[in-house]
Order: sequence, then C-alpha cells, then structure tokens
Amino acid sequence: MSAVQTALSEFASTVPDRIWLALFVLLVGLVLAYLVGVVNRRLLRRAGVPEVIEGTAFERTAREFDTSTVRILAQLSSYFIVAVAVIVALTVADVNYLEQFWSGVAAFLPRLFVAAVVLIVGVVVGDKAELLVAERLRGIKLPELGVLPTLVNYSVVYVAALIALGQVGVQTLALIVLLAAYAFAVVLFAALATKDLVASAAAGVFLLLRQPYGIGDEVRVAGERGVVQEVDLFVTHIETDGEEHVLPNHAVFREGIVLIRE
Amino acid sequence: MASLTDHLSDLVADVDAALLFSPTSSFYERFANDGSEVVVVAPDNDVDAETFVELPLPFDNVKDRIRFGIEGAMDADLVSEGDEVACVTSVFEGGSDAIVRVTVDESVHTGIFDLFANSRAEPSVIRDVFEVAIELGQKGQKGKPVGALFVVGDAGKVMNKSRPLSYNPFEKSHVHVGDPIVNVMLKEFSRLDGAFVVSDSGKIVSAYRYLEPAAEGVDIPKGLGARHMSGAAITRDTNSTAIVLSESDGLVRAFKAGELVLEIDPEEY
Repeated sequence: MSAVQTALSEFASTVPDRIWLALFVLLVGLVLAYLVGVVNRRLLRRAGVPEVIEGTAFERTAREFDTSTVRILAQLSSYFIVAVAVIVALTVADVNYLEQFWSGVAAFLPRLFVAAVVLIVGVVVGDKAELLVAERLRGIKLPELGVLPTLVNYSVVYVAALIALGQVGVQTLALIVLLAAYAFAVVLFAALATKDLVASAAAGVFLLLRQPYGIGDEVRVAGERGVVQEVDLFVTHIETDGEEHVLPNHAVFREGIVLIRE
Repeated sequence: MASLTDHLSDLVADVDAALLFSPTSSFYERFANDGSEVVVVAPDNDVDAETFVELPLPFDNVKDRIRFGIEGAMDADLVSEGDEVACVTSVFEGGSDAIVRVTVDESVHTGIFDLFANSRAEPSVIRDVFEVAIELGQKGQKGKPVGALFVVGDAGKVMNKSRPLSYNPFEKSHVHVGDPIVNVMLKEFSRLDGAFVVSDSGKIVSAYRYLEPAAEGVDIPKGLGARHMSGAAITRDTNSTAIVLSESDGLVRAFKAGELVLEIDPEEY
C-alpha cells in the first residue's frame, strides 16, 4: 500500500507545476464553457428568441438536424471559451513548438467567433424580415410584389456576410462598392416614389394639429369648392353635389385654403 | 347511426344552393368539382370562387352571419325568394362544423346586409358604433338606462344640418371609435344631450349636436320619441346612418334613408 503511495507522490513530483496549472486552467475553462452555454441558452429563451424566429428557414433547417438556432448559438459560445482555455493552457504549459502558429490562432479566434455569430444572426434576421414583409403584402394580391420579400432577405444576408468577411480579414472593398451602389439606388428610388406622399404627410401633420378647417366647413381648396368630409394624414375629402374630390394635402398647402363664410 | 345519416341527407335533400362560410380551399374544391351550386361567404375571396359574398365582419352570432350571407346572395341575385339553401358554417372555433337549412324569403331580409355593405361609412366603423350602443344598452350609464344617438357617415353634411348645443368636447381631437378608451369616453359623454357625429372613417367629429333636418314626411313606427325622429330624419336628408339607443325600451335601432332597417335587443346580443 505504502509502496503505491510513494510511487504516486514520486510521479506527482516529477510532473512540473506548470502542467498542473495548465490542467487546472483547462478544467476551469471547460466548466466555464458549460456554464456560459447554459446561461446563454436560458437568456436567449427568456428573451423570447425562439418565438420570434419561429418558422424562418434557418430555424427549420436547424430543426431538421435535431437542434435549434438557440442551441447552436449557445454551443458556439461554449466552443469559443473551450478554444481560448486550450490556448491559455498550452501557453501556461509552455509548449514551445508551433508557438508562432498558436499566437496566430489566438488572435484569429475571436474574430472567427464574431464572424460566425454575425452570419447566423444575419441569416435568421433576413429570414424573419422576409416573413414579415411577405405577411404584410399578403393582403395585396399582386404577383409582381412576390420578389420584394426575397430581396429584403438577400439584402440583410448580404450585409451580414459583408460584416463577417470583414471580421475574418477578407478584402471586401468591391463588395462594399456594390452595396453602396445598391443602397443609393434604393434610396433614390424610394425618394422619387414617395416624394408626394412625404410632402402630403408633412402638410397633413400641420392640418391635423392646427385644424385651419374641420369636418363640415365649406372651403375652396386647389380650385375645388365644397364641404370638408374627412381630413387624414395624406388626403382631404371635399364634397360638392354628388362629387367627392380627394385632394393630396401638399396641394392643399401649396395652393392655400379659402374658408367660405356666408 | 343510420337515422342520424338519414336526417342529415333529409336536411340537404334538393337544396338549390349551398352557402359555404369561410371555407378552406380544399373544402371548397371538393364542392366546386362536384358541380353543385355554391356561394362562398368570406371576408376575402381566398379560394377564387366565382360566386362570392364579402363578409365585412366576422359575426360571432351565427344567426346574423347566416342572415348576412343570404341577404348578400339575394342582393347579387345568386339566390331568389323561395329557394332552399344549406349553410355550411362554423359555430365553434375552427373548421366548418354545422349545416343549417334555410328557406330564403323576405322575412330573412332584416336589412343587416344593406346596413353594412351599402352604407357610406366603413363597415367596421358601423360595427364599432353598434358595439358601443349595445354595451351602453346592456349596462346603462352607472346602472341607469340612457339613450344615445350616433350619426355615422357623411359628417360634413350632417354638421351643416345641425348646430352645437354647447362646446364640442371632441374639438381638435383625433379620436376614432373602436378604441377601448374612446368607447369609455363615449359612454361618459352619453349623458350629454344631443347627437354624436362620426365621420366615414370613424373619427368622432362632435358631441352635443342638435340635429335640424327637415322632418316632414318621415315615417317611423309610432311610439318612438324625438331622438328616433331626428335620427331618422337626418338619414333622409343626408347619406348617413343613424344608430339610436332608446332610453325607454332599451332597444338599439338603425335608420337609413329615413327608414328603420334594424332593431336589436342588447340583452339578447
């Protein structure tokens, strides 16, 4: 019995302290990774993430592989901590060979982690945005609008991929130029298309706040005389005998209002 | 079980048409491929049916829903008087779970379709005002029965055919019926004299309005008071709809074009 004990203590004393410390660091890292994974999963669940991303393509694919987006994210954070722990342990243990390689990996690892997370979040958000837009457009039965949700999805995924690639240090200048051109086109198109609507809404806010005329007043606006039937954010309804004029509010504002009193 | 099946086949024996209320597309296709005459009654024409009646409100009350569907079908000449129709609808939540056989005649015609579908104001606005009136009729104002008069739609003309009794509490406000808080406000203001004026889109334009329509020749049932008379008369002078809660008998009545089109007892609703 005592022979075994002395052999053990001799073995323990031959192993350098550094190795023990490294093993300890590794152990702490593993425990920490597990805890962070569990806490992450709970936090994401508590934040209602599974309900929000329900039905997105990514979540469905994850389900097919018998996992879920939340679990993948939680596992990713665990793996990251394990990897860091391994590197720290190796450094503490002073493993000399391949030092160059490990320092490179240590610098690269957090960026890879962030890139992976950004990519997953981007894909999920893109899917969700596609679903939301498709739902909003479902009332309008216009087949041409079917491309819009897909476009929204790809735009979000494209930006996420761009960020991820930037994180891992790939040259993305050409892609950014492409994105800028695309964003410029979208902004220009939106501005041209909604110019009158925005102007009307701005005038409508004034009309609703100050109420220069109200429902029931007789007015002449933009050449049309009649009784005001309705004022909303974008248009004013003015009715004369059997005719209802729907005037955009920016026209009301530009041409002025004549209140008719008898 | 044989007698149950017999009864069911008796129920649907030689009906002239089937009214499907909000059917699923597979359910509808089974009927359509069969070649029988079907009329789809739903909020949207999701199944691309040829004969379709739009349901502006979901109508929790099955009787009202069926009445509405039949009146809509009569309006579009899809069924005519004396026809026998089978209505396939859902009584509880979920799919179609009931078949009702109805004979189409004028007594089914309560004007409920006309009231919702052919009014100037939006159907949801009329429904919201109805709900406020019915709730007011059930509970009263602090337990006491109250009367109220809502004039819905064509607000510009109504305002020109009325005058204020006092300051308008809804001046410069942008509140719409159907908002729960606004409904409470309306109930509180129901103790004020005069009419509420509601616009086509549901905006509450004014309270405290004294209506001044030309009342001559307005024919409403005897026994109704000044509130009903002025409500009926304003709908003849304008394109509005009047919804009146009677203080004495507690019934909610709707007037259009100077005539009584609908009468509901809030207690039964």
